[in-house]
Amino acid sequence: MSNFMPGQPLVAVVQRIEIKKLRQGENLILGFSIGGGIDQDPGQNPFSDDKADKGIYVTRITPGGPADAANLRMGDKIMQVNGYDMTMMTHDQARKRLTQKKEDVVRLLVTRKSLEEAVKTSMGGCYPRQ
Amino acid sequence: MYSSFPLLPDSDIQKKIDHEIRMRDGACKLLAACSQKDQALEASKSLQTCSTRIMAYMSELQRMKEAQVMKKVPRRSSDAGPMDDRRPCKGKVAISDLRIPLMWKDTEYFKNKGELHRCAVFCLLQLGGEIFDTDMVIVDRTLTDICFDNTIVFSEANPGFEMRVELYSCCSEDDYSAGNTPRKLASKLSSSLGRSAGKKLRAAMDPGPCSPVSNGGATPLLLPVPSVPGPKYHLLAHTTMSLTHIQDSFRTHDLTISGNEECSYWLPLYGSMCCRLAAQPHCMTQQMMSGCLKVKQLGGDPQSWTKVYGVLKGTSLFCYHRQEDVEANVEPAFTIAINKETRIRASEKDPQSKVQNICISNQYGGEEVTHTLTTDSRDDTHRWMEAFWQHFYDMSQWKQCCDDLMKIELPSPRKPTPVTPKQGSLYHEMVIESSDDLSSTVSDILARRMRELELRSQLGTSPTWMSSLFEENNPKGAGRPRPCTSRFSGHSPCTPHRPPRSPASPHRCPQLSLLSSDASLTSDSDSHCSTSPCSHRHGWPDPSSNFSLLSSSSPSRMRPRTLSLDAKLSTLRGRGFRGGGTFQCSCQPPSSSPLTPISSRSPLSQRSTQTTLSCSSSTSSNSSSNSEGSHSPESSEGAPFSRPSPARRSLRNLRARLDPRNWLQSQV
Repeated sequence: MSNFMPGQPLVAVVQRIEIKKLRQGENLILGFSIGGGIDQDPGQNPFSDDKADKGIYVTRITPGGPADAANLRMGDKIMQVNGYDMTMMTHDQARKRLTQKKEDVVRLLVTRKSLEEAVKTSMGGCYPRQ
Repeated sequence: MYSSFPLLPDSDIQKKIDHEIRMRDGACKLLAACSQKDQALEASKSLQTCSTRIMAYMSELQRMKEAQVMKKVPRRSSDAGPMDDRRPCKGKVAISDLRIPLMWKDTEYFKNKGELHRCAVFCLLQLGGEIFDTDMVIVDRTLTDICFDNTIVFSEANPGFEMRVELYSCCSEDDYSAGNTPRKLASKLSSSLGRSAGKKLRAAMDPGPCSPVSNGGATPLLLPVPSVPGPKYHLLAHTTMSLTHIQDSFRTHDLTISGNEECSYWLPLYGSMCCRLAAQPHCMTQQMMSGCLKVKQLGGDPQSWTKVYGVLKGTSLFCYHRQEDVEANVEPAFTIAINKETRIRASEKDPQSKVQNICISNQYGGEEVTHTLTTDSRDDTHRWMEAFWQHFYDMSQWKQCCDDLMKIELPSPRKPTPVTPKQGSLYHEMVIESSDDLSSTVSDILARRMRELELRSQLGTSPTWMSSLFEENNPKGAGRPRPCTSRFSGHSPCTPHRPPRSPASPHRCPQLSLLSSDASLTSDSDSHCSTSPCSHRHGWPDPSSNFSLLSSSSPSRMRPRTLSLDAKLSTLRGRGFRGGGTFQCSCQPPSSSPLTPISSRSPLSQRSTQTTLSCSSSTSSNSSSNSEGSHSPESSEGAPFSRPSPARRSLRNLRARLDPRNWLQSQV
């Protein structure tokens, strides 16, 4: 999230979050909302530190939903979904990646500022690579 | 020039050709003789138009001769019977308010040194055998759009017509007297003609003095083309319109651009063209059939036949008491709808009169109403049935043009060109339209704005990216809280917790039209709404001074809602009324007329229908829980997780995606 340089490899502390989709009628839902994407205006993202970051961020968590239960937090940046990279996706691509009908479970790699802070303070300056 | 004749057989075509040849000779002479630049441009335009007309008439002549030859060939026996010979009625097609946006580079705007690069442009429109040209407009970099004010009406068009619209331009900077063409320009012309001449008939018609290609690959000319020194127009862009493009409102169409930056006649076109294309098929404007009838309504007294004089026109069969009433403009006794939903069949022979009856069934509301018609003779009945079949056929061919009568304004006699130059841009205009006096309007706007800012600060929302466009609140009628409808929520009065917003002002409020988000959205999704049966209202005056893409200034005072309003509302709802369920946006009252389900949004004009759809679909949620600052049309959360139907969501997504101001959010 910090030190984001376009074109450069990104290093971040991530957390694994596994969300089991909930069936609602004929839809499978996760219970959160995403914002961002390479086709969106990054300056309008309230959660990003770096206003040039065009990544996918979690903008809302439905209370009591699957994402909430899996400990996803608002403001998280989604780095990977089921192994697919999410840092260079359009908004719609990201949405589609999360809403694949054949997948019951999504395994996300997310990063958030508090994680980085926590690792930084505990490791005193250098933190493990992703 | 507006010379057009209805297409008549051979000798008339020949007369037309002769007429045009004379006009062309006159234009050539004028061109040779005139000294002033704008005269030369006008004359050259006339020349171009005449030449095009001559070509068209010649082709028409050729086609007729071919048809005559074909007639002598015996028809194949496999040709079907009567249905093949049925031809749809013709109609009037009108195109008006042509506007072509330009896309100057920013360097052009700021380049102040040197001469302004100016071009003279005009449009040539061709439909069938009729060719019209618009007035000529001089374009330079101070203009953001090329606007043609002309309304052009083609009187005899088939439903399968193809209207070709061509934009011609000519650089108007240089001197045109013979032998004085600057070498650079001449070489530019020759190289550009050489590149594109193969495609264009027009280039073949006007060989430049230094052009290496004079006839290109086009059809050989039948007449000697006068080679006159002077300004020459070149095809800059073209497009073709057909029945599918017809709509009773403005639409944007794509242009195919010829030429490139190196041509002297180049203009940086944005690539699209806006215009209003309307059609009046004859079946809607003329009496298709008339005669004496006897009518009875099913369910009534079997012996009670009413004698009427029936006139079939448009979407109805008007039944007058007497024939004289038709001319006298007396109201008909009753009217039977004849539209796409009507079913007509011939019934059993009436044992008494031995003539078949015609039964016409319509659905009014949920009920089926049948009228039975009969005539005095079998021939009459047959003729009426034939007329009905023809009418249905016409309606099936003209499709959306027969839903309601589209308004066509006939071109008024030539007005002097307006003094104020048009400096309008499609993308940056905000219009306040009001019929009340302006001062009260403005103070209302200010008052409301204050209240809204207050409200916003109360709630503590200050999303930085939310646009601060001001939305209008315009209910009609009394000051009591208005029940709002949306698709799913019931009718409930606005909560009294929101005094600043809900009752709002009872008097008529001005329209505050908003920016490009709706503009682009409206035009793209117009087709979505065009199928609703009552959505056309030709009686509303056209706001010709506004860019209608922007302003949705229907007299019913529908105001377009932007996405930021949706967001604002959902924010407010989410914050204060979670689970409240019944909060309705008071800012979106359709009108005081009976509120009906979404499919018959009758008072709305076409243009605002789209944005209304957006509004009602986004206020459909009962308990919202949009996160703060969300201002894209995010799906609502029902109880507990509801996903909007794919159609609505895709519509919303499309709109949201098109609006660059939004930061899109999607629920997964």
